[in-house]
Amino acid sequence: MLNSVVIPVVFVAVAATLYAAAPVSFHRQVRPLLEQRCVACHQAERGAGGVTLATYSGVRAVLARLVPTVSGAAPRMPKAGKPLSAEEVALIERWVAAGASDDTPAGFNGASWWSLAPLKPVAPPATASSWARTPIDAFIFAKLTEKRLSPSPEADRRTLIRRLTFDLHGLPPTFEETHSFLADRSPDAYEKLVDRLLASPHYGERWGRHWLDVVHYGESHGYDKDKPRRNAWPYRDYVIQSLNADKPYAQFVQEQLAGDVLFPDDPAGVVATGFIAAGPWDFVGHAELREGTTDKENTRLLDRDDMLMTTMSAFTSMTAHCARCHDHKFDPIKQEDYYSLQAVFSGIDRADRPYDTDPALHTRRRVLLEQRRTIMVELQPLLDKSAAVTSPEIQELDKQLRIWRAEKDTAKVDSGNARRKDLVLVLLDPPTRAALEKWNAALATVDARLRELPKPQMVYGAANIFPLSGTLRWPIAPRPIHVLGRGSVQSPGKPAFPGALSAVQGLPSRFDFAANGPEGARRAALAQWITAKENMLTWRSIVNRVWHYHFGAGIVDSPNDFGRMGSLPTHPELLDWLAIQFRDTGGKLKSLHRQIVLSSVYRQASDSDAAKSKIDAGNRYLWRMNRWRLDAESIRDASLAAAGRLDLTAGGPSSEQFFFKDDHSPVYDYTRFDIDSPGSRRRSVYRFLVRSVPDPLMERLDCPDPSTMTAKRNSTITAIQALALLNNPLLVKQAEYLAARANGDVNLLFRYALQRESTAPERELLSAYAQKHGFANAARLILNSNEFLFVD
Amino acid sequence: MNRRNFLRNAGGGLGALALAEIMRASEGRPLDHPAKAKRVVQLFMSGAASQCDTFDYKPRLIAKNGETWDPGEKVELFQSVPGAVMKSPWDWKQYGQSGKWMSSLVPHLGSCVDDMVFFPSMISKSNVHGPATFLQASGFILPGYPSMGSWISYALGSMNKDLPDFVVIPDSRGYAPNGPGNWSTGFLPAGHQGTMIRAASANPIYDLNPPESAKYITKESEKEGLRVLAALNREHLHNREDDSRLEARIASYEMAARLQVSAPEVMDISGESAATRKLYGLDEKITEDFGRNCLIARRLLERGVRFVQVWSGADNGFPRRNWDSHEDIAKDHGQMGTEMDKPAAALIKDLKSRGLLDDTIVYWTTEFGRMPCSQGSKGRDHNPFCFTSWLAGGGLKRGVTYGASDEWSYKPAEHPIYGYDIHATVLHLLGINHEKLTYRHNGVDRKLTDVHGHVIRDVIA
Repeated sequence: MLNSVVIPVVFVAVAATLYAAAPVSFHRQVRPLLEQRCVACHQAERGAGGVTLATYSGVRAVLARLVPTVSGAAPRMPKAGKPLSAEEVALIERWVAAGASDDTPAGFNGASWWSLAPLKPVAPPATASSWARTPIDAFIFAKLTEKRLSPSPEADRRTLIRRLTFDLHGLPPTFEETHSFLADRSPDAYEKLVDRLLASPHYGERWGRHWLDVVHYGESHGYDKDKPRRNAWPYRDYVIQSLNADKPYAQFVQEQLAGDVLFPDDPAGVVATGFIAAGPWDFVGHAELREGTTDKENTRLLDRDDMLMTTMSAFTSMTAHCARCHDHKFDPIKQEDYYSLQAVFSGIDRADRPYDTDPALHTRRRVLLEQRRTIMVELQPLLDKSAAVTSPEIQELDKQLRIWRAEKDTAKVDSGNARRKDLVLVLLDPPTRAALEKWNAALATVDARLRELPKPQMVYGAANIFPLSGTLRWPIAPRPIHVLGRGSVQSPGKPAFPGALSAVQGLPSRFDFAANGPEGARRAALAQWITAKENMLTWRSIVNRVWHYHFGAGIVDSPNDFGRMGSLPTHPELLDWLAIQFRDTGGKLKSLHRQIVLSSVYRQASDSDAAKSKIDAGNRYLWRMNRWRLDAESIRDASLAAAGRLDLTAGGPSSEQFFFKDDHSPVYDYTRFDIDSPGSRRRSVYRFLVRSVPDPLMERLDCPDPSTMTAKRNSTITAIQALALLNNPLLVKQAEYLAARANGDVNLLFRYALQRESTAPERELLSAYAQKHGFANAARLILNSNEFLFVD
Repeated sequence: MNRRNFLRNAGGGLGALALAEIMRASEGRPLDHPAKAKRVVQLFMSGAASQCDTFDYKPRLIAKNGETWDPGEKVELFQSVPGAVMKSPWDWKQYGQSGKWMSSLVPHLGSCVDDMVFFPSMISKSNVHGPATFLQASGFILPGYPSMGSWISYALGSMNKDLPDFVVIPDSRGYAPNGPGNWSTGFLPAGHQGTMIRAASANPIYDLNPPESAKYITKESEKEGLRVLAALNREHLHNREDDSRLEARIASYEMAARLQVSAPEVMDISGESAATRKLYGLDEKITEDFGRNCLIARRLLERGVRFVQVWSGADNGFPRRNWDSHEDIAKDHGQMGTEMDKPAAALIKDLKSRGLLDDTIVYWTTEFGRMPCSQGSKGRDHNPFCFTSWLAGGGLKRGVTYGASDEWSYKPAEHPIYGYDIHATVLHLLGINHEKLTYRHNGVDRKLTDVHGHVIRDVIA
């Protein structure tokens, strides 16, 4: 099945020369072609114009029209994209002419799309090549040979250590590290280097930043009133620490979705739910709009939409969020699946949530907080009821209270409040009054015990109870979810219950058992569904992401989309081999990295080769290593490192590198800030990430907007970026420090910034320039050089 | 000299292929049909400008002033419960050949009505400032999507050799709700990001010049420095000849140097005539700020910038510094309207007298409207169901109104339209089919108009 998708491409070459050769197969040739070019619109149900090309019977129904519609000088179809090629039309024509028979195998369920097919165990191709060090090399070599390509020679050692260090740490190696690697003659020098880098805590900082891109982690709400989230950072540290600890991937997934439920006694379980809360949040919609209004419902709908989009894109590379208004237009995702996912998240909101780093204390508090919530579930409706009670006397008192509050007369306010309470109590019916007193007393007991504990830490995560503020309410029970007609909260249809994607075969897609339990059971069920051994999407998704970051392009070049709008895998067998290996050996990311960076593929040089470029200019088959421009964080960190100024302290609250003033819409001003302050020396992963006002330097270096999930960063080259690199005060300052550190020695500039000795012409050029314009200017040029900014 | 030739020369003989990388951002894509306009200036009224105090004349509000308001259905308001019917504190009169009614808050725009197209039946999808502002700015009520200017920069590419394609001039009092998120490039390449000009600031463009503390950076050091840098980078090209990005970076420094010269020049309005300065209201305190920003906008458009966005109004805080007049329309709209009216009219007149209005679109908008009833006794709450936008210039009819609101200016009565439709129409005038302008991101072919938008052919000349 995996092979079938590439057959039309192969056929192109064959068809021209061997017309009327073997009979055309509907299942292996025609169906894949239709799937790629037609099924997006002409899907199984409600296909455009009443035509479906997703099934044999659907194709049969329009057989006479098929070829005329797609052929001719100006074919009517496909509406989007270029017309079918002459070979593709010929293929369909031959199939029709031969009787249009159906050779679909018995038991075929229609889910022929590559990413939904079960993982297929394949042995690496046998190879006689001495170049192939590892199974990965065998797969790559076979494809290169097929494409009449051959691998590039191994890169030199300086290139290798620079590549590995930036790749695994996001930092340059030091000159000394480079020097000692060059001098290490032992046969396992490269392996030792890889192991050292993977064991370092900087590994987690680098790869954690990748994960934060994917989950669109930011530290302010976004929208209007973009308030800072000063308790978001523990989730960032959780990600970094989890990667450094090489936590099994399944556990990493489970913790982020439902760690508080599945690992209740582990503080990390609470912190990890920062994943669910990572994206933007509409403060006005949640905390200012009134309950029951359309816009309030819409705010919550879109908030859950963000949670489920993040979850399904990050873990399964599927665009489930595209099924909000109708069944997914391109992929087998039902609108009902979408609302089942909404139901998974309908019992939580984003809020600060307490936890303790000491596990024993954490457990003690957890038990009390659970008791407290049980009480509040009873108490809150009673409080709401009594809040609605009023009388002329109460109204009069409220007027007074407003005045006293304005006058800040606390004594009068306190006594007024007490009197108000009494006035309300009298007006309540006796059973309500009794219940209120009972639950208030229970709450007082638990709160007293909570007060005995030390102050907890807080993390901005998923929470099912939190202090009320404005119109913000916590969900007493999961909010009812309905399938919404055209995605409109004004057109609720039938109720939806928790579940996931029905197109994933072999796993139950509805979590009926969880529907009546506590809300956490829903998230736990989804976590189990995602991490099930049978969930082919999950395992393919993560190994492809890792591959993408190592090579700059994934085996599937659309890491967040394995659907019909995404790319096809260049090496489907390798992808499945990696996925199975990874899954069956404990889901250890470090083993996967090791496997990849030890390969001969990864160790290739990135030099030009005109002949090979002619065959594969985009290097999709990896006949060389891809050169990459450093990302924003690496440029900033490498500049600080070259200057000898980088502060490698790990973790903790984020460094706020702007002037901050809380206001209706808070002010974040990067120009009114001392870039030479100690916080500016931290690694970029510890910068405080404001959504509405991004750091102008980082933005110009393609640091993504944390309001959108980023699976692949852009890498652009612009004039305005050149200005930032030349003139940004932080970078100019680093040039000055670098100059001071090198103390007039041009060669030292090269050692510190580029980890190599300078050549005589380079020394001559820069010395002359420095003499005229100062050594800091010379240092600044080095930090602007392509050699500094690119990794071979 | 065309752009390609310029770059080839500026880059010191760079090959055409080598330039592809940097040009990709500035080249744009082929037009879908012949364009009627080449550039756009968007005037964005932050905080929700009231339609029924400016452009949407309703005799019934005057007749029923102070009476209980009954539009015949339950009204769901943002902050308040509906108050009495409230007429505008401003008088109304007819202007021009077209006889368009305008309030006395906007008399200067009144003198331009025969060049304008009004859309009094606009609807928003949110009554919250943040999402609604995003909707007008980027076509989505969520953050993270490319703004209209970014899309147009992406679609059309550059018309000028040394200024960015998309420039934003925020209100000098601060950012509108959502901040620079309103001109985000989203998932489009960073080159399509709106470049912010803070016209009232000492450093109007971030990092245009080195920090003042770095005295050693001089004109001479920069000139020679770029030569040395290019030499280092050329040496580095050895064995990397086929990587066009490396040469593109060399060229990017040449372009940066041009920008350093052209940006201060475009912001320097000292050479403008006294008549022009007066036209924009630079001689009066209340219009000076927005007037200067509009004048700079004209200078940018003149020099080939594709999309200029000028903001009137900051965030929704107190004291009021944008159009969000919940408390006192007369006072707060009085301020904002007077600040805006003369300069906006001047922009139309000035573009017209220079022959630029024929292929420049002036696009005035706000995130939603305000209610015909009172909030408190003097303010107005949000009205997401009905507001007015207007267009003027390239390829548009002149002196017409499309659609109509009901007798209250509460909801559309005829031709209800969304920002999507305006976006589709503006793109159409620029030669772009809004359904074909797509960018694939996370598995979706994204569009400025999402799955919506109809070109309003009735207003095209």
